Order: sequence, then C-alpha cells, then structure tokens
Amino acid sequence: MKKILVVLLVLGLMVTAVGCGDNSEQKQSGDTSEQILIGNMQDMSGPTSVWGAAVTSGIEMAIEEVNAEGGIDGKELKLITYDTKLDVQEAINAYNRLATSDKVSAIVGPPISNIGIAVAPVSEDKKVPLVGSFLDERATTKEDGTPYKYMFLMQPSAGQQAQIMAGYGLEKQGLKKFAVLFNQANAYSVSLSKPFIDYVNNNGGEVVIEETYNASDKDFKTQLAKIKNENPDAIYAPNYVQELTLIVKQARALGIDVPILGGLDAAPPFADLAGDAANKVLFPNNFAPDEPQLQEVYNAYKDKHGEEPLNKVFIGYDSMLLIAQALKESGSADPQAVAEALANIKELEGTTGTISISPDTHRPYGLSMVMFQIEDGKYVAKERYLTEGLK
Amino acid sequence: MYLQVLINGLSLGSVYAIIAVGFALVFNILKFSNFSHGGVMTVTAYVGFLAAKHLEAPLVLTILVAILTGGLLAVFAEFVAFRRIRRNKGPVIYYFVSSITLGILFENLITIFFSTNFYSFPDFFETSTLKLGEVVMSVSDLMMFLISCTSLIILAFIIYRTKIGTAVRAVSYDFNTASLMGINVNVVIMAVFFLAGGLGGISGVFLGINYTLYPQLGQLVVKGFIASVIGGLGSLHGAVMGAFLLGLVEILLVQIIGSGFAPVFIFIIMLGFLLIRPRGIAGINIQEKA
Amino acid sequence: MDFILSIMVFTSITVIAVTGIFVISGLTGLFSLGQAAFMAIGAYVAGVLAVNYHLSFPVAGFVAVLVGLLAGAIVGLPAIRLRRDYIALATFGFGEAIAALLNQSVSITGGAMGLSGIPKKTGIELAVISALICIFIVRNFKYSKFGRQCIALREDELAAKSMGINVTRVKMVAFLLSAAITAYAGVLYAFYTTYVEPAMFVWTKSAEWIIIIYFGGINSLTGAVFAGILLTSLPEVLRFAAEWRVVIYCIVVIFILNFRPSGVFGEYELSFNWFRKWWKHLKEKKGVMR
Repeated sequence: MKKILVVLLVLGLMVTAVGCGDNSEQKQSGDTSEQILIGNMQDMSGPTSVWGAAVTSGIEMAIEEVNAEGGIDGKELKLITYDTKLDVQEAINAYNRLATSDKVSAIVGPPISNIGIAVAPVSEDKKVPLVGSFLDERATTKEDGTPYKYMFLMQPSAGQQAQIMAGYGLEKQGLKKFAVLFNQANAYSVSLSKPFIDYVNNNGGEVVIEETYNASDKDFKTQLAKIKNENPDAIYAPNYVQELTLIVKQARALGIDVPILGGLDAAPPFADLAGDAANKVLFPNNFAPDEPQLQEVYNAYKDKHGEEPLNKVFIGYDSMLLIAQALKESGSADPQAVAEALANIKELEGTTGTISISPDTHRPYGLSMVMFQIEDGKYVAKERYLTEGLK
Repeated sequence: MYLQVLINGLSLGSVYAIIAVGFALVFNILKFSNFSHGGVMTVTAYVGFLAAKHLEAPLVLTILVAILTGGLLAVFAEFVAFRRIRRNKGPVIYYFVSSITLGILFENLITIFFSTNFYSFPDFFETSTLKLGEVVMSVSDLMMFLISCTSLIILAFIIYRTKIGTAVRAVSYDFNTASLMGINVNVVIMAVFFLAGGLGGISGVFLGINYTLYPQLGQLVVKGFIASVIGGLGSLHGAVMGAFLLGLVEILLVQIIGSGFAPVFIFIIMLGFLLIRPRGIAGINIQEKA
Repeated sequence: MDFILSIMVFTSITVIAVTGIFVISGLTGLFSLGQAAFMAIGAYVAGVLAVNYHLSFPVAGFVAVLVGLLAGAIVGLPAIRLRRDYIALATFGFGEAIAALLNQSVSITGGAMGLSGIPKKTGIELAVISALICIFIVRNFKYSKFGRQCIALREDELAAKSMGINVTRVKMVAFLLSAAITAYAGVLYAFYTTYVEPAMFVWTKSAEWIIIIYFGGINSLTGAVFAGILLTSLPEVLRFAAEWRVVIYCIVVIFILNFRPSGVFGEYELSFNWFRKWWKHLKEKKGVMR
C-alpha cells in the first residue's frame, strides 16, 4: 500500500511540474477584453512542417489586414500557435489547451485529415470551432451524415477533389481508361482514390487496374509494369510528394508516357524535385498565381518572404477570413456564436475562390479548383473547373 | 514479363546486398546486430548529397566521399557506443540497445539539421533507362548492381587475401586467442567498422539516388538484417545470397498478391525459415555461449 | 486543467505499456520489437467491437485483452524457441504483419483511414487506477517465483535450464502477461482518443519503449515507471526543445549504457523497507523517552 502511495506522490510531483510550466503560458495570453484570441494548431515540426509554416504565414497576413482596418468591433485579433508535430496525441492536447486554458474564440486547423478526424469528437465536448483544410469527410461529418457542430472545412473535400480530377480528365481531356496507383496505408491517398474510381466508372470511363503499395515502399516498378500492361490513357496517383516523385520517375523510366493525374501534392516544389519526369502531370490546385482575387496577398507574401507562396498560404489566409467574417456576423467573440455564424457563411470572396459553407456538411459547395498541367518543368494553369454535380 | 520481374528483383537485391554485407561484417566480429548501420547510411547519404549538389562532384567522387564519411562515422560509433561495453564485458544485449539508440540519434540529428523535407540527388546519368529487348532497366539500378558486385569482390579480396583480412577472420573466431597471438584486436575492430561504414556509405548514396533522400532512409537497414538472417548470420556470402533472395521474393510477392499482404507473407516465410533452418542458407552454427 | 488531465491520461497509458514491456524485455530479456502490435490489437479489437457491434466498454475491453492473449500465444509459441537476435526479427515481422493486416481490412477497421467514433470512456480515474494496478501486478510478478525464474533465464539460459527451470514455459508466461497488459493499454488508448489508425503503432514505438526500460534499469520496475512518466510528460514541459528532446534522451541512454549499464535506478526498488526503518527508529526514540 505504502509503495502505491509513494508512486502516487511521484505522479503528483510530475503533474505539478507540468502545471507550473503551463501557468506561465497562461499569463502571456493576455486580457481578452481588448483582444479576440484565435488559436492555430499546425505542424511546425515534422514531415509536414513546410505546410504548417505556410498556413501560419497566411493566417498572420490575414490578421494583419483585419487589424489594420480596425479589427473586429474595435478589438484586435491575436494568434496563439501550437505545434501538432503530425501527432494525433499532440493535436488533441493542443486543441484542449486552446479551448480550455487559452479560451480562444476559434481555431485554425492543419491540412491533416488524421488530426481533423481525431479532434472532431473532442470539439463536440469543448465547443470551440475549428476551421481546417483536412480533406477527409469524416473530419466534418459523422457516420450518419450529420455535421460535427464545431468542425469546418474550407476547401473542396477529398471526394470533391477526386471528382474534379476525374471529371476534368473525362470531360476536358478525353481520357477514358484509367489506372490508379495509391498508398493503401495512407488515409489521404485512400480517401481520394475511392471517389475517383467511383466517379470514373459511373460517368463513362473505366478504371482498368488498381494497384496499391505500402507506406514504406519506395519501389513501384512491379505495380507500374502491371499498369503498363493494361494500357491506360492516364494514371491517377493521389500520393504525397515524395512518393509521387518516385512514381513519376519510375513510370517514365519504364517507358510509360501517358499523363499522370495527381492531387494537391503535385503543386510546387514537385516539378523541381521530379525533373523531366514531371511533364504531363495534371492536378487541381486551389489557386493560380495570376488570378485577380489574390494578387494583393500574393505580392505581399512575395515582398515579405522573398519567395512564391505555396497553396497552403492561401488556405491559411482564407481560413482566417472565414473566421473574421463569422466574428463580424455573429457580433460576438463567443465560440458557440462564431460556430453558428460559420455554418452559414455564403459567398465569401477568398483567395482560393468564392467560399460558401453548406450548413448540412460544414464543407464548401460550388468551389472550383484550378487545373494545372506541368509542361517543360513549368506549371501551366489551364482553367477553373467544377463538375456539374458539385455546382 | 517474368524476365522484367527477375531484373527488378535482382536490382532490388543488389541494394539490399550492400546493406546486408555492411551489417554482416559487424555481426561476424562482435556477434551482435548493429542497428546504427542505418543511421550511418543516412548521414553519409546526406553528406554525399551535399557534395554532389554544392560541390558539383561527379558520381565517383561522391561515392568516395561517402565511403570515407561512412567509414569514419562507423569508427566513431564503435568508440562511443560499443567500446566500453566490450571493455566491461557486458552482455550482448547492451550492444543491441546501444546500436538502436545510436541509430535513432543519427536519424533525429539529420531531421534537426535538414528538416524532414526530402531531397533529390542531381541527375548523374545522361539517359535514365536502358532497353534490352523487352526488358527495361534503369541506369542507376545497373550502376548499383555493378558497384555492389565490385565492392563485394574487393571486400572478398581484402578479407581473404590480405594480412588485415586474415586478422579480421582470426578475431571473428576468437577474440582472446587472437590477441594472444599478437593481433591488436582494437585496431582490427576499427578496421572492420571502417569497412562496414564504407559499405554503408555506398548504399546510403545509392539509396538516396534511387529513392530520394529523407531522414528515415536508415530504416532500410532492417532489410539488411532480414537478408543476413536468411543467408545465415555470420556469413558474408550468405548475407549477399540472402539479400538477392529477399529482393526477388519481395518483388514476386508484390507481383502475385499485391503489395498489401506482402509483409504478412514475408513474416510467415521468415518465421518458417527461422524455425526450420535457423542457421540460414550458408550460416555457421553460432551457439549462444552458455 | 483539462490539458493537464489529458497529459496524465496519456502518461498513465504509457506507464501501463511500459510495465508490460518490463516483463518481457526487462525481466526476461526477450527483445520484442513488436509490442506496439499488441497495443494495436487491443485498441482495434475493442474499438471495432464498440463501433461496429455496439458492445459496451467493459465487454469490448475484456474481449480485446483476451484476443491480445491469444495473439501473444500464437506469436509466442514459435518465437520463444528462437535465439535472442531472431526474436527481435520475428516480433518485428509480426508488428509489420499486423500493421499490414489492419491496413488491408478496410471494411472492418477502416484500413489506413483509421477507426473513428469510438466512444470516449477512459477517464482520468480509470487510467491512473489501471496504471497503479498494473504496477502492482508486475511488482508481485517480479518478486514471485516466476519473476525470479525470468531473471535467471535472462542472465544465463543454459544454467537456468540445468537448475530445473522450465525455460519454455516461463518465457511463454512472460510473453502472455506482457501481451495482455500491452493490449489493455491499447484499449484505454482507443477509448480515450476515440480514433485509432495503423500508423500509430509502428515498430519505432516498440523500440522507444525498450529504450525507456534500459534507461530506467532493466531490474527496476520503479526505474521503468519513472522513466516512462518522465519521458512522456517531459516533452510537454520542454515544448520549446521539442526537436532536441529525442536527441538528448538518446545521448543520455548511450551514456548510461556506457557508464552505468544497470540503468539509472539500478537495482533500486521503491519499497517500504526504508519507511519501516524510519518508523522503527521513531518508535525507538519514543521508547527511550518513556
């Protein structure tokens, strides 16, 4: 018995140590009556830290603009950022911290589906809205189709993006037979492949072969050889950049010359990494550098950071715009009121397009994407596209 | 079609072979599985990348740089992580834990200094593929295969024909007796680690070329471990054979049942192997000392 | 407050897993690189039963632990007959196989997309009390006949056999116990985070746990628990040093293996002995004054 007491004591000491560490943070969060606190949970370290940094820059730029125009109802916006390290546990901790100790009005989430899905049930409990770019539909809607009250997606979901790619291929590029190569151990990859296959098969096309690989695989020649045998018009490979680079290189090495369709990962710096093999790659992106609605932000980012903004910068910017709009419309900094306003946002002109959130799914509808093709190592924007069914 | 599968299997096998031999060298001498080999591979791959990109070194120079870095790093590892344990005559398990820790350390150091972005080596070869009739082979795979074979031949020469090689073989039979014969065991061990590290360097650079460069590159050392086991722990040519076999089996499995269930089958095959013929294909029966 | 609670829950769960690893890798010295797979089994079985079949938390958890035991038996039977190095390989392969299976069975487990919607049933009380109970169980195991037999066979298997210890049976019991405990940790984990995916249970997690054990001292349960608590809750305090955290604790482990191989706590176990002595000392003082 005594031993257990001592163990308990040790546990208690540890907790106090942690608690002390936590309290000092609280003092910094500031007086909420003069400011509106916005939380930000991103991967600032780890494999996707580039995205986390980009989203955060976008958010910061949006906040600067809003504050320069006098803030919301005279109150300034202040951002509190925590690192989720691509780890679900860290993300849950970060969300809890933002919701209960820092008491923010809303949070911008990461473009990582696993984190979105894990945090969703927690958000029902803590009731602070989270606006993210996590594509997996399960982060915003439950099994039965009803939305999580506090989760919001601000770019087309996985299903929508897959449909857009499929539709574009079928309709605008005249492709009929498709092969699909995806990472069956990765939720992102899987959540894009299934809707793509369904859409193609239901709309006049045919998926002639599906090949999969595992998380740590780096050699796809076997799968690609099988694909080559089936003679498809195009290959859909919705995979992370690193694998996509290897896939296109190995495909071209095997003599496969057809277009390769990808997801958002084919955006820069993919073309540099894959070199010549990147040619004839088609994919949807949230923006094109020359679109009018984002010129201001684009140039401001370039001036500030000296390099081209990634698509994630605009995603961060628009996420913050959505929250700012909701704050204005609800007239209050109370998280629940903000959540209600977010569910009803219509026609917000963001940098990635016109965003309207559907109250039934908490995802945007009618939001098109810019189709890009890589030619001679350069990104060529073709046109904005949206399949009929999604308009 | 099957010829293509064979070629793919062989080229994958040659990648594994170099890793396996580096791994087997250390096992031969110190009788433990050196998991820090993976970390050495990763670090040398990055160093090679820096040489190739920033100093614009051609392929041969990059490989030489890698061999040197790998060798030195491995010797450093031996000094830091393994020497004391040897001196204290600690149980074998400590070497194992030490090596895993060192491997993780290297991986994280790389992550800190290079972040987890991945990098592509600049293209070393003009044309990227060769077509021999129906069969396609990538030039880097071919080079890897040739360089693997060359390195193995050179290694065999060193081990079987030179004085230091004989010393290595002596020490691997019995430490104490070898030192009684006047062999400086410490120097021999350093030499072995240098060789192993050098091989690790070659494999690191080629893995980086073939599979892009990322901090977890070192985790491929596990394949080397599996190959060594199949081929027989303690035997260098066993490791090579095991590696080629593993490469072929993996490619075949993916071809036949798809990549999803491949790990399950490999596990079953491996388990079977270990139970039926634990000493592997060419291994000598190494008894755990009583 | 909530945030601290959440850290405490995660820490308690890690402590439970650590006690499980302590039994198999600490006391018995069997290197199991697949322990994370048992946690995955516990988490997934309980999760699937709760989500798809709507079983209640205690029932689902109980069944999950039983399945964990079964898996432990299936893997354990062949594995314990293998040599030390091979056990690591076999358990590693097992871990990979389980991960692959989980990824493939999309209809049941959601595959790579993970299983979500598990009801949140693990509260702070359950987590801490479970941790304490597990510590208690393992402590009694250590001081029991079985525990001593485990230590004996870890040090020298042949000698243990010649003393009449049924080595195979002891290893099996240790294996089963650790599988069950680790599976239970998985159950608690699943019902706390409400979402599990195969990527959470990789072999590197198993390796980390083993390092924790060696850090604390393989003979000391106190050390293992302490190391587990320290290395889980410390990252929160050291958020700013996040990247260097792993590097620092790897360096510390290497130091320990070099200079104090018995681990930070060595043979020390928290016990009531010194408490009792102090109490006795007090009583004596009172006696003198009477």
